[in-house]
Amino acid sequence: MADLCRSSTFFSDQNLCNADIIGSSEARARIEVAVLNFLKILNSPSPAISDLPLISRRWSNSRVNRGLLTEVSCIFLSHSFCTRSLMRPNAAKAFVRVWKVVEMCFQILVQEKRVTQRELFYKLLCSSPQYFTCQLQVNRTIQDVVALLRCSRYSLGIMASSRGAVTGRLLLQEPNQETVDCSACGSSGHAISGDMNLLERMVMKTDARYIIVVEKHAIFQRLAEDRVFNQIPSILITAKGYPDIATRFLLYRMSRAFPDLPILALVDWNPAGLAILCTFKFGSIGMGLEAYRYACNVKWLGLRGDDLQLIPEESLIPLKPRDLQIAKSLKSSEILEENYRNELEVMVQSGRRAEIEALYFRGYNFLGKYIAKKIVQANYV
Amino acid sequence: MEGKRSSSQRSDLLRKIREFTRSILDDLSIGKSPVVLIDRFRNYCTDNTGNCCCSSDLSKGKEILTLQRECHARRLDVLLRVLLIVQQLLQENRHGSKRDIYYMHPSVFSDQSVVDRAINDICILLQCSRHNLNVVSVGKGLVMGWLRFLEAGKKFDCINGPNTAYPVPVHVEEVKDIVSVAQYILVVEKESVFQRLANDKFCNKNRCIVITVSTYFVQPSVKINFLTMFFCQGRGYPDIPTRRFLRLLVEKLHLHVYCLVDCDPYGFDILTTYRFGSMQMAYDAKFLRVPEIEWLGAFPSDSEKYGLPEPCLLPLTAEDPELLSDKRKTEAILHRCYLQQELLHWRLELELMLQRGVKFEIEALSVHSLSFLSENYIPSKIQVAEGV
Repeated sequence: MADLCRSSTFFSDQNLCNADIIGSSEARARIEVAVLNFLKILNSPSPAISDLPLISRRWSNSRVNRGLLTEVSCIFLSHSFCTRSLMRPNAAKAFVRVWKVVEMCFQILVQEKRVTQRELFYKLLCSSPQYFTCQLQVNRTIQDVVALLRCSRYSLGIMASSRGAVTGRLLLQEPNQETVDCSACGSSGHAISGDMNLLERMVMKTDARYIIVVEKHAIFQRLAEDRVFNQIPSILITAKGYPDIATRFLLYRMSRAFPDLPILALVDWNPAGLAILCTFKFGSIGMGLEAYRYACNVKWLGLRGDDLQLIPEESLIPLKPRDLQIAKSLKSSEILEENYRNELEVMVQSGRRAEIEALYFRGYNFLGKYIAKKIVQANYV
Repeated sequence: MEGKRSSSQRSDLLRKIREFTRSILDDLSIGKSPVVLIDRFRNYCTDNTGNCCCSSDLSKGKEILTLQRECHARRLDVLLRVLLIVQQLLQENRHGSKRDIYYMHPSVFSDQSVVDRAINDICILLQCSRHNLNVVSVGKGLVMGWLRFLEAGKKFDCINGPNTAYPVPVHVEEVKDIVSVAQYILVVEKESVFQRLANDKFCNKNRCIVITVSTYFVQPSVKINFLTMFFCQGRGYPDIPTRRFLRLLVEKLHLHVYCLVDCDPYGFDILTTYRFGSMQMAYDAKFLRVPEIEWLGAFPSDSEKYGLPEPCLLPLTAEDPELLSDKRKTEAILHRCYLQQELLHWRLELELMLQRGVKFEIEALSVHSLSFLSENYIPSKIQVAEGV
């Protein structure tokens, strides 16, 4: 039955496009293959400059995959291509940029080194000033290369970073390293490595009953300090804002390793908080090919609309214009289930938002009690 | 233990809170309007005669609050309410953030800034630091290198993995048993530079301690209803725990401290924050600043000296719709009194920056060779600084 559940996509997974996590030699091999293919066509009896087939990262190529027998839905990109072509007049530079970045990454991989995105920008700025003028262009081109070679940025030699931290009833062990007890890591928790290869190999053990995803650093720090994970046996994880890939990957691994543990999100009541929850839950197209993977069945613990009765009117603060933009993009994404959609509508209509800290109106102990009560009542959606 | 202000223990503070409140009550009970005097502090001014007393830690005058002015009355109302919350925090030995405090009386505290000012006022009145009131913030600092210490019984053995980042503890007063075999401390402005050093295994060949603040964050951007995310880097202004921690290390280990910032007005401002303290925390500058810190780089003169390619030299902005432009910011920094009398070599470099009209980031030094920073630039600068 478990197998049936896992295969509930009925092999439509074959349509999904992944950004693989590969080692340096395989990354170099993929680059070499791309170059050889290009040269082969250029050298053929009917020579041509091939277009570059990149997985289309457009809205139109995204679909929502709703699990039939599982509760996990995710966004995915299918094998629809957009091309970068030298032959289109306004797009020629974009074509060349892809090759320039491929070349630079190859050189870095050969040196067995890594580079930050900013360093890559300066290198490209100096080596090819007519093609690169700003960091954003470099970032977009990197995403093109990821879509071309179908491997992660980290595999291409770009340094990975993570904002995430984890604490609570979790033992983590890297191969050949000492086991880390996350509950003994103090109020900052254990920093989540940006190295996906490392995260993939980590051995995890827990006796927790829940995993709690916390939006904000300040709340995470408070819950860690108060050792809430002992009162409610749990693992706490945060990305200190919008999640990075590594934090999502660790959560994903935990969801696979401990499938019986509900994953509950504690976010502010505002479109941004909901967007953060949705990124953990469904993945995101935003960061290119890598980002939509690692969807998890995350439930919304709080703050939700019916929690607003717990806080005074004055604690609600106005929505920012950015919140309204985010709300609009969430609505048009078609991924929200009905009750999330309704909550979002209430937020937008009221024009206000509420932060988790507003619960402190009821005293310092209240946050822990609030979480415990909601969990015990299974009050999450 | 950190250098403590005298009598900032909990019991002392609780006594001072009672005394302060009693004095106000006593005045009110005899029909007298209470007068609250709040010392003013600053780290610098625009006086260029050398006669300002900014370098001393004395207060520069006092603000006088009375109930006879409505704005003062409201300010005192806020102050007393925050004081009550602080008293509870101290009595129960719990910690809270400034934001938490705001939400306890959101109708009275119309804005966060009102609470922030009250907390500052209370620190000045009670002559203590913010953490003495049990008001804390999140920690942003990162440290790696040849260092070991305990925090609240937990071991931080950085020596075990000298190229691994460890978080700087938030409760710096709990840091004990600092052991180090480092020869110097290197403070870098940005997390990306820290990453570069970690990736190059800088601490393997260089016996030092490296400190930074985390500057990366994920920024959402909405483009035609499409939510996209970018991994960005913000400015490296240090948070309070990191500044306290650095100060503690200097006090205990007596090591030289070098600061590596971008060659731009904000980098320089960050350097001055480490060295002199920030204006907002001027009342506590004595315990937060690190006067020993030296400017290692990057200097405007380094661009020639180290052959930085032309495209890496970005122009100083002349206008900015949201913030102060680079040029205006540099001019404002040049007016600060501490650059008039001392630190003339800092002043000269800053004037050169303005004159040339260009800035550059540390990452530009990696253009020719990724290991240039770790193997060349930093070691050669340290050698010069240490007089080797």
